[in-house]
Amino acid sequence: MFSLDLLFEALIFGVLLGCFYAAVSIGLSVSFGLLDVPHVAHPAIMVLGSYCTWLLATRSSLDPLLAGVLLMPAFFLVGVLVYRFYYETFERRGSDAAVRGLAFFFGLAFIIEVGLILFFGVDQRSVEASYIGKSFRFGDYRIPMRMLVAFAVALLLTFFLSLYLSRTFVGRAIKAVAQDEPALRLMGANPVRIKQWAFGIATGVSALAGAMLVIVSPVEPAMDRVYIGRTFCVVVLAGLGSMTGTLAAGLILGIAESVVMMLFGASWAPAVAFGLLLVVLGLRPQGLFGR
Amino acid sequence: MALSLEIRGLDAGYGAVRALHGVSLSIGEKETVALLGTNGNGKSTLMKCVMGMVRPSRGDIVLNLDGQAFDLKTLSTEAIVDLGVAMVPEGRRLFPRLTVEENLLLGAYRRASRRQLGRNLEFCYEAFPVLKERRRQLAGSMSGGQQQMLAIARALMSAPKLLLVDEPSVGLAPILVSHTITKIKELKEEYGLTVLMAEQNFHQAIRIADRGSIIVHGEIVFSGTVSELEKNELVKSYYLGT
Repeated sequence: MFSLDLLFEALIFGVLLGCFYAAVSIGLSVSFGLLDVPHVAHPAIMVLGSYCTWLLATRSSLDPLLAGVLLMPAFFLVGVLVYRFYYETFERRGSDAAVRGLAFFFGLAFIIEVGLILFFGVDQRSVEASYIGKSFRFGDYRIPMRMLVAFAVALLLTFFLSLYLSRTFVGRAIKAVAQDEPALRLMGANPVRIKQWAFGIATGVSALAGAMLVIVSPVEPAMDRVYIGRTFCVVVLAGLGSMTGTLAAGLILGIAESVVMMLFGASWAPAVAFGLLLVVLGLRPQGLFGR
Repeated sequence: MALSLEIRGLDAGYGAVRALHGVSLSIGEKETVALLGTNGNGKSTLMKCVMGMVRPSRGDIVLNLDGQAFDLKTLSTEAIVDLGVAMVPEGRRLFPRLTVEENLLLGAYRRASRRQLGRNLEFCYEAFPVLKERRRQLAGSMSGGQQQMLAIARALMSAPKLLLVDEPSVGLAPILVSHTITKIKELKEEYGLTVLMAEQNFHQAIRIADRGSIIVHGEIVFSGTVSELEKNELVKSYYLGT
């Protein structure tokens, strides 16, 4: 049963799957990891991004990846508005913001889900592009092209977000805002504006992740539920708020799932994420790359 | 470059508790004024009023800057920082999970200081070599004395015209208190800073102050030059134990 060949194949697939996980999680790494917002609607917004991509790709025959990029500014705005609403109605009012915020974002997730069902129906949707369905040879292995999209999106998002957070004034303020808001005011930055901007970025990034999602596999309205656990797992595993950590944690999860799938079968795979999470949190409560 | 801060008849409090009663104080350019008093007498509240973090219920806080008067009561903390006022807060309030350098760079957030970022950073590393050695270390993992240095350096990164320092000696060993005060003195002499410092350690505070005001139960009970303060009976009974 076991062979080096199979293991190698599992590793390659694991890396690609891992990039996919990192790409779907990185927006959450900003909103939850850096801002402490319990954003359980993150996958729902991503699925919304998938549907918007589908709409643009089928109606105006745009390339789905380009459609995802074009959606980013609109999603940025949506993120700014959602955060503003959340801030005015929940966060501003009290110390139990986290628990009440959870209710807010669960509500938002369901509203998006129901909206998608009413608007698009419950059928699966998929997009077409020249690179979807094709594969290429890598040594003796066949690698599906669409997984390379995940690879590219994950690397690009990690690279640009890390750069933005470490090299710009606003980026550094985003990293600091959850640690001490009054102190950030003393630096001359308005914490609410900073969080609003950062939430916009996290949401804009989700549009691109959503485009990638619908390129990799068909989507349906309730699909976000599968991803709530996995995305939070990746972000916590990474250590809250580390972008390169998110990429690494995604890779670890992808490779682990892929190897477990090869050795024990696919039904064990979903247990891997939380098994890993429990072990890591037991040994390193701050996450693998947390500060 | 004319600068002065005028505080007139300030009342402030938290709910039913009145922390300041009719406090008046003025600071001129390149002057260092010490606000003296033990815990709970309103020093921090006064500082917070100047920074727009606590709103006074009565009185005026006016910053005169190059012939223009700014009513700080009506401005947000961010806007006050933008005018060139910086504060080293009580308890230092660093960003513990950011590196020393990230903390310093955040200090230069206000637009006017971004342009001189490189120069100011170099100056901070020169003034505090220990920060340069540890620039990649997390701020929260440094010792108390080093954290206080970082807090001061971070405030200086904004190239402030007026620097407020709230109790720099709290939580530090006596030798470090002396170091900290010496450092502030060097900095203000070299760069012509205007400083308002709240401090309970009388002996350390008068090493750098030109003038001092003693605040008791939210009221200023005595103001004068350092030599006047040293001769004052109240100071003797309060601080010098005689």
